[in-house]
Amino acid sequence: MDPAAQSLPVDAEGRRPAFFSGDGVDQLVTMVLELATELWVLRERVFVIEAVADRHGLPLKAEVEAYVFSDAERAALEAMRGTMMRQLFRTLNRDHRPVDTDA
Amino acid sequence: MPLELSHELKAAHDRDSLARQDFVSSLRGFILNDMAAGMKARFEDEIEPALTRALGRPPRTQDEVHAAMRKDTYFKFYSSVRYNAQEMVWRAVIPGVEAALPDLSRQIDELSAKGGGALSLNPDLDIPANVAGLDVHLMPGGYANTETPAAGAVYDNGLAVFSAGFMGPNLDDIGLSMSNYVKHRFPDFHPEHILDCGCTVGHNAAAWARTFPDAEVHGVDVSASVLRYAHGRAQSLGLPVHYHQMDATDLAFEDSSFDVVFTSMFLHELSLKDIKRFFAEAHRVLRPGGLLINMELPPNRELKPYDQFYLDWDCYYNKEPFYRAFRDQSPEDLIIAGGFGPNDYFQFTVPQFSFTEEAAFIAAVNAPPSFDGDTGRLSASLNWFGFGAWKAKI
Repeated sequence: MDPAAQSLPVDAEGRRPAFFSGDGVDQLVTMVLELATELWVLRERVFVIEAVADRHGLPLKAEVEAYVFSDAERAALEAMRGTMMRQLFRTLNRDHRPVDTDA
Repeated sequence: MPLELSHELKAAHDRDSLARQDFVSSLRGFILNDMAAGMKARFEDEIEPALTRALGRPPRTQDEVHAAMRKDTYFKFYSSVRYNAQEMVWRAVIPGVEAALPDLSRQIDELSAKGGGALSLNPDLDIPANVAGLDVHLMPGGYANTETPAAGAVYDNGLAVFSAGFMGPNLDDIGLSMSNYVKHRFPDFHPEHILDCGCTVGHNAAAWARTFPDAEVHGVDVSASVLRYAHGRAQSLGLPVHYHQMDATDLAFEDSSFDVVFTSMFLHELSLKDIKRFFAEAHRVLRPGGLLINMELPPNRELKPYDQFYLDWDCYYNKEPFYRAFRDQSPEDLIIAGGFGPNDYFQFTVPQFSFTEEAAFIAAVNAPPSFDGDTGRLSASLNWFGFGAWKAKI
């Protein structure tokens, strides 16, 4: 390992303040902001991918805008969205489903 | 948008890190402008009237305002998001700095070898507890003395994201605004030796070298890490500045060594005891007829209770433990206690030099100070607060 290589801390010393009295709300704000950040990272990367493709003669941005799904693609996407919804709301489902003693 | 640093030591961040920096910079802009305005409106429309009814009078202190705001959901989200954004600033730059570190020391050594300003480190210096024992600004690892320039690099790259361009093209607008205040307010004053105390990465010391190119400019800090970085940074910008590892409350310079002693955003990092020691030292190292000038957050006495509370947020939630204690003081009392004359104090506000037409800047320099909710806070209509004193001529 290079002697100048150094692993830097990423957290400040000490306790983080709690602004909300509800349990977990402060952590939830962090999660939402981390998700928003990574969503932005993806959006910026997609922007760059389209720009690079355009620069090389592939009009990706225009073709993406004009793209029409086939029936099969539409059905596949519908199924993917359903899976995503179930994952997103999985904790609600668990709380609300009837007690299954056989499970 | 984050400022793109223009010197050779800037870290090369990968695409995703740059996107994270873009995001957190915009997030901070949203917090400090939109959310801040929304929170103030909420205070004025609902919280202040309710508080006035409860107290039987309008709130008189920032503590009364803070106690009421702490219960408010808007304040909770404002604070929580702002605290997170502060953490995210550092997290967005640290991977790039880590990747740059193996080459950074060599780069600095090469820049330092070019000549110009000198660097003198003192490995025996006792690092004060306010630097060694505290991650000020929530900067992971703090500014403390390390053998590598990591702390300097994290601070410089982080400040470029944090300030979203408000601090000028080289993060030097405070130094440019203060030095140009002196240049235009006191045109017959021609400083030859200038000292910046608590200079960190030397961004503002370099600005003084730009404004007064014939002067010899020195910067001191207790951290070897930030000073090594500062030296390479100034060399890269072609500005000869001499950096010394010293405690500003116990300077190793001879009496009457400087025409100007300058600080920026430094005093609020010190305990009151150390502030007093610093002013006594500043008085000692200034020559008779020399100028002490400090850029700082405005004193609480100049602001309404809500604006006091708003600016002191950092004291409670951003690891700035001495922030409020300083802002509660009378700056002239502190300066007078350091040995300056009671009639030699002056204070002023100036617009940002980097973003103001020269004629408007000169007009503002000669106008009386004006304080409002944007004095000293990063916002679109920012103006800087400064105060100082002349050392009596013999």
